[in-house]
Amino acid sequence: MRTIFTIARNDLFIFFKQPGNWVSVVVIPLLLTLGLGWAFGVGEDSGPEKINADLVIPVETAATQRFVTRLHAVNGSLRLCPMDNDAENACNLEDGQAIPTVDQALLRVQNGRTAALIVLPPDFATEREQAIDNSSPIAYYSLEDPTLPSPILQSAQTVVQELNGTDVAEYAGMALVDLFDELAEQEGQTLFADAAARENFAATYRTALVRRMENQPELVNFTATAPMSEDTTLQGFEQAVPGMGAMFVMFTVLAGMAVLRRERSDWTLQRTAVAPVSRAQILAGKAGAYFVLGMVQFLVIFTVGAAVGIPLGRNAPALLAVMAAFVLCITGLTFALAPHMRTIGQAANLERLISLTLAPLGGAWWPLAIVPPFMRTIGHISPVAWAMDAFQKIIWFNGGLQDILLELGVLLGAAAVLFGIGVAAFRIDA
Amino acid sequence: MADNGAAPMILTEHLTKTYPNRGGKPIEAVKNVNLTVERGEIFSLLGPNGAGKTTTISMISGLIKPTAGDAFIGGHSITREPMAAKQLMGFVPQEVALYPQLSARQNLVFFGKLYGHYGAELQRRVDEVLAFIDLTDRQKDRIETFSGGMKRRVNIGVGLLHKPDLIYMDEPTVGIDPQNRRRILDTVKQLRDEQGMTVLYTTHMMEEAQELSDRVAIIDHGEIIALGTQGELTQQVGGQDQLELTIDGAGWSEELISTLEQQVKGVSRVQYLPPDEAALDGGIGLTGKLNVFVGQGRRALPDVIELLNRAGVDVQSVKVQEPDLEAVFLALTGRALRD
Repeated sequence: MRTIFTIARNDLFIFFKQPGNWVSVVVIPLLLTLGLGWAFGVGEDSGPEKINADLVIPVETAATQRFVTRLHAVNGSLRLCPMDNDAENACNLEDGQAIPTVDQALLRVQNGRTAALIVLPPDFATEREQAIDNSSPIAYYSLEDPTLPSPILQSAQTVVQELNGTDVAEYAGMALVDLFDELAEQEGQTLFADAAARENFAATYRTALVRRMENQPELVNFTATAPMSEDTTLQGFEQAVPGMGAMFVMFTVLAGMAVLRRERSDWTLQRTAVAPVSRAQILAGKAGAYFVLGMVQFLVIFTVGAAVGIPLGRNAPALLAVMAAFVLCITGLTFALAPHMRTIGQAANLERLISLTLAPLGGAWWPLAIVPPFMRTIGHISPVAWAMDAFQKIIWFNGGLQDILLELGVLLGAAAVLFGIGVAAFRIDA
Repeated sequence: MADNGAAPMILTEHLTKTYPNRGGKPIEAVKNVNLTVERGEIFSLLGPNGAGKTTTISMISGLIKPTAGDAFIGGHSITREPMAAKQLMGFVPQEVALYPQLSARQNLVFFGKLYGHYGAELQRRVDEVLAFIDLTDRQKDRIETFSGGMKRRVNIGVGLLHKPDLIYMDEPTVGIDPQNRRRILDTVKQLRDEQGMTVLYTTHMMEEAQELSDRVAIIDHGEIIALGTQGELTQQVGGQDQLELTIDGAGWSEELISTLEQQVKGVSRVQYLPPDEAALDGGIGLTGKLNVFVGQGRRALPDVIELLNRAGVDVQSVKVQEPDLEAVFLALTGRALRD
């Protein structure tokens, strides 16, 4: 064990004795993580909190006013333009002006300035009789995919059903009252003392109907929720920190291929092997050094994450377990490939090629959630994808060790296979 | 592990290394090498580049596994008891096998630890080695700032750190200036003479093998083609000594050639270079040069001088040139060592 420690310590001492390595392990990863974290986070949120929908009302009446009120009530995420426009011109209106015509509003839909256009008919009912007899349709225009549910259309339909339901129920109820009134008159009786009493009853009945319709228990009330973190920049770091960590661990650890090749060319590896040291001790010492380097690299970048406020302390053992499993896997890859390197240049080029391929493929640069499903599947060829899955479970969803057992198993299994290949192929001769 | 003091320092039995060759006949780098190196001798493996010297030394040091045969270091098999065998030997590879980013002292300390030395004992040994290689004043400087000769000295120092009974030196003077080369050769002799160390020295330079070695093995195409002391080797190929005499050209007569050939025992040929030709061959003024080829040069020398004096020829200087290993290699292979 003392010999293994001596070999590992010597490799680490040589590594950190070179100023260039401090730049590549600390300075560049820090700058890139900070830059990307900020870039990922600025202006990012979980989607628009308000959806713009233009509403054209040719003739304003109490009924149209009620339509607007109910639409707001049913879907609080709708911004009805131009009436809901604000000082920042959230409705994207030219010069903050109202929408003059249906054609101009339609252009706004086509240009993507608004998600949909709702045009109420000029004869939008003001009286229940008119609503029943004159059923001019409400026009709805949108670029939405007709095969997908539309929150705006669904909200409008909900309001229309509510209004129509009220009208139909009022119409039916009052027709029934008229029938009873007629029957009572035939018996020489009367339901209402006079016309005013009848109107009073109708108004009370209508009010009850409206209240009932407006408080339907089945109503779905949609409200866009705010992101978990109010600071959107923090979300950027929650992607950038593990992503950059995984990528720079690959750069740092895979650089061991070139170092091992150089040690064979310079005969320092052979000189070590000629000493009374076993092959296993040499391998363990060298692998130990690169495992420590990988962990140092992760810790440097996650320290940046902690400094900018990512809550890393919630499940530190799980986090460390993922880091260790990933570093072991990459160290195994290094030792599996190193014996086949013919030149130092070849090893250095392969290190860059592997790192710059596996990192984006595995979601180190952007979340795999935003790529097509087949790319998500292909991405899991990369150990980075498994590490990122585990990091996301821990950082984004507050997961623990029990939640990342699959990812740990895959990474450790890959590490075991790669180390097996590396140990079998390990060469001491130049 | 204890050294078996009765056993020779190195014993190889049918040591063979064969490398596979894609699509061709396997390459036999070393063929059936049988060597015995006694304790306290400097034993040289002499051969041209690619002859199999480094492969042989790599097998004996445990760096590569022999395809067949075995090597024993102080009685310990390098294949079956590698740790015990390795503990007895120091290794100075042809390359400067040092970490250039570390200082001379840091290199020595690291390799010293691999041989199980730690703490005050290690520091004391490092101090001794630094003094021995005369680099105490540069001990804290990085190796990458050293000259080629200084690097070579540290390279040797690492091999000596654990006071081995045996040290392998694989062409340790390659690519360095004459002054540092001289220093290294003196160091090798010092190791034998003052510390009783056994040295296995590989070289393709005949002069080094001649100067250093108690015994020499000449290796070519992976085979030992001759083995013995320098004298034994030259006798094996029937080599003749050459007496180089500088004489006064004024007293010379052509009859002296046949007189020398007939009257001095063992003389096979006499060659005279008159003053003008001798000047081209390093002669001065009116002196001529006489080359006498004879079996036992030192024995024949008094007779040659007496005969010349009687004939009135003034002998100004004499040099006995014995046949060298270059001549032996040439005789055995038909090629020069540097070909």
